[in-house]
Amino acid sequence: MSDTSRLNVIGRPLPRVDALEKVDGKARYVDDYRIEGLVHCAMTLSPHPHAEVLSIRTDEALAVPGVLGVFTAPDVPVNQIGCVFQDQPLLAAERVRFVGDRVALVVAKTRDIARKAAALVKVDYRPLPSVHDAEEALKDVAPKLHAQGNLLAHQKIRFGDAAACLAACDVVVEHEFEVNYQEHAYLEPQGALAVPEAGGGVTIAGSMQCPFYVQSGVARALGLDRNRVRVEQAVTGGGFGGKEEYPSEVAALAALAALATGRPAKLVFSRAEDFQISTKRHRMRMRYKVGADREGKLQAIYVTQFVDSGGYAGLSTVVAERANTTAAGPYFFPNAHVDTFIVYTNNLLGGAFRGFGNPQVTFAIEGMMERLAARLGMDPVELRRKNLLSEGMPLICGQALPPSAPSRDVLDTLAQRSDFDRLRAEALEFNRTHRFRRKGVGLALSMYGCCLHAGGQHLEGSGALVQVRADGSVEVNIGGTELGQGAFTVVAQIAAETLGADYARVRVLPTDTRMVADSGPTVASRTTIMSGNAVRAASLQIRSRLVELAASMLGCPSREVEVGNGAYRQVPVDPPALRPEVSASAPSPVTIDHPSSTISQANVRFPDLCMEAFRRKLHLAASGWYAPPPKPWDKDTGQGIAYSVYCFTGNVAVVEVDLIGGLVKVEKVFAVHDVGQVLNPVTLEGQVHGGIVQGMGWALSENLVLDKGRCLNPGFTDYLIPSSLDMPQMDATFVEEPYPDGPFGAKGIGEPSLISVPTAVALAAGDACGQLPDRLPVTPETVLRWTAKDGNGQ
Amino acid sequence: MVNVTLTLNGEKTACTVLPDEKLLDTLRRLGRTDVKKGCGEGTCGSCSVLLNGRLVASCIVFTAAADGGEILTAAGLGTADNPHPIQSSFVKAGAVQCGFCTPGMVLAAKALLDVVPEPDVQQIKLALDGNLCRCTGYVKIIDAVQSAARTLAGKDEVPHA
Repeated sequence: MSDTSRLNVIGRPLPRVDALEKVDGKARYVDDYRIEGLVHCAMTLSPHPHAEVLSIRTDEALAVPGVLGVFTAPDVPVNQIGCVFQDQPLLAAERVRFVGDRVALVVAKTRDIARKAAALVKVDYRPLPSVHDAEEALKDVAPKLHAQGNLLAHQKIRFGDAAACLAACDVVVEHEFEVNYQEHAYLEPQGALAVPEAGGGVTIAGSMQCPFYVQSGVARALGLDRNRVRVEQAVTGGGFGGKEEYPSEVAALAALAALATGRPAKLVFSRAEDFQISTKRHRMRMRYKVGADREGKLQAIYVTQFVDSGGYAGLSTVVAERANTTAAGPYFFPNAHVDTFIVYTNNLLGGAFRGFGNPQVTFAIEGMMERLAARLGMDPVELRRKNLLSEGMPLICGQALPPSAPSRDVLDTLAQRSDFDRLRAEALEFNRTHRFRRKGVGLALSMYGCCLHAGGQHLEGSGALVQVRADGSVEVNIGGTELGQGAFTVVAQIAAETLGADYARVRVLPTDTRMVADSGPTVASRTTIMSGNAVRAASLQIRSRLVELAASMLGCPSREVEVGNGAYRQVPVDPPALRPEVSASAPSPVTIDHPSSTISQANVRFPDLCMEAFRRKLHLAASGWYAPPPKPWDKDTGQGIAYSVYCFTGNVAVVEVDLIGGLVKVEKVFAVHDVGQVLNPVTLEGQVHGGIVQGMGWALSENLVLDKGRCLNPGFTDYLIPSSLDMPQMDATFVEEPYPDGPFGAKGIGEPSLISVPTAVALAAGDACGQLPDRLPVTPETVLRWTAKDGNGQ
Repeated sequence: MVNVTLTLNGEKTACTVLPDEKLLDTLRRLGRTDVKKGCGEGTCGSCSVLLNGRLVASCIVFTAAADGGEILTAAGLGTADNPHPIQSSFVKAGAVQCGFCTPGMVLAAKALLDVVPEPDVQQIKLALDGNLCRCTGYVKIIDAVQSAARTLAGKDEVPHA
């Protein structure tokens, strides 16, 4: 399966299935839906980070011409929502817990009227003391946000005896790291449309990653059976995790409005609302202690970290599980002790964001490797190489690293491809000859558990529906979604390759809860593997029916039928004993290698075959299902099988720092990714480039500023995501070692593309200034503080 | 209310708007949903259109001020059946991901290539600086603009696929 040279569709740089409809603007995003009788929603939001709601007066808002209704907590059938813990109101009743907590929903004929009326909802608040730091929130004196207190959860890793080992280590390094929020800044804001259905129930169309989360979330809040909630994903303008759990809230609000007014209702966020009230990458504080022997062999790691969940739980415990489990990065430690505290505060909601807790701990562990190397007087790359995990070695959760795991190839390829030693020498030379500008080089590695953590494995099963039409065109439905990452393109390739169909005639339809069973979320870099395997399973069923048919048409045994290049052809296999792998019961995924003398011209083209199948009343539709094996997990010790497979990544960044203004310019980023197998080099590179630039933004310019829970820069004017002028030169290289359980050997890429980039960039900026960063982002203020300290910028 | 006449993708269109209505809102009200709203404050470029040949963020242009103007949107540039070479290049180069910035991005490219037919990379970066993309890292967008420039200058072989 690893050899893609004999494949026709897989591995080729085919154009995306959805590109044409996007270049002329015809692709329909949720705000583009035009529908008869549509009404619009707007929200009244809390201006306080923490307050008691004494009263809500809606009369003034209701009196605005064009307003159809104003809804508050008592109007919500089941006003306890939340993806994991139901600790959150859809509309706050007695208490608000963050700036932006919703207290009322206004429905009106136009969006303008709804917004104006929402501002006229009079809420009487009694402000309460608020807490804005996770560790402060754990103190006795801190105001309590929820009945259980502010500690939402405490996760652990207990592996060996880290404390005892550290006490005996030759060298121990200790440091604290802190990282700020990151806003997803998908270009399309959150939005949902709800249409009330005859006979009860509602149809949702919206910008989302997880239609099945939306289905269960809406059903719960409105007290409906899930079969009364149909969810179709609209074309979605970016997600990056920000449209994982949050759209369930947006959709539930729209559904509430639709069912209460009997009209189709839409809610679309303004950019400022999206900044303030949707989820962010978690702010985290991480205290690391690492011990090693004199030769640089790592002995023990001891981590205490705090995850700021904000006012409600959301997915914070799930994000934290990843930070907890991969706190040691891609390195072998015989002893590990990790405490991860997930804490309520009156800050913004933490949630899913590309990397999901891993970019934070990567910054910490890679910072520790640099510090340890400095202490030992060792080359930091050599220290990493010496301690890198490889297949079969135990992770800190006790799991033996499963295949494929080409960690060493990734590091070696990165060092060679970037010519790392030369880059460092060039930077030194540059710095020797320049006074106000400095160059720096940073290298970072990461390890990412692909697909869901053991804690979420009940959501892991994924489905697909493949239907072949009589004309040879193919329709595919998957449970995963297309957010821009290219999922529909790779599943179309998988279907075309498996069926022998024409890629250009495979159509992947919008994800719809009516078409496929609950397939879990489109997250965790799992869609290529999960939806891809499901599509392949469905396609293989149809293919075996077509092979039988082709055999009867060609007058040959089915084991002599070869599939590929748009046709099913007879390839006489003689003698069969020499080709044991060819059998009708187990179709080979690749075309059969054969001596050219035996090639037969007898073949039947795929569309002709499909027409004949239709005439013979064959069933050319199949649903496929893929679920990985169970992963045992003990949450008290954090020991077990955490993930089915891991992805290794390395980045090298080269930056130039302007010592006078403090600006860091990223000149070049190298990325090496272990992807199992490349399915489409163009979409794959696209993911890597996007991940690099988004990661670079968090490292340098994306600094979300909060004042008592209020975002002071809720827009692109002051929250600076990289533009075309900021992008570095990028170099992406892929290490291919097929993942045995991946479709055609593939793993995921969505998140690995970002994870170690912020660290590599920050380390490069630090390197330029002779510093080791411990805060993200590295702002110009940070650089100026560094340079003022050693007098360089003067 | 103000009566305004626009030439919208070559079609004369009369409409009545509020004095403070923004061009983006007017266009979307007229069914031009190929013009996207990403921020509403002129910072993201998703709502870019060509107004009398110049690239503008339609969310910060008063419709009344555009009276008599010629407006080109992405759908006016070309369609899926008959794409403009810039649009074909975006498809071929892999410059499209989520697609929300794309209609504005192809118009920013058009505005550049109308004036600078053979831009270098730095000129392309400068021209696209007002159009944010969160998905692609801009690499393939820049590739697409370069390739479109070659096609428009007749220097490219016939595009395949």
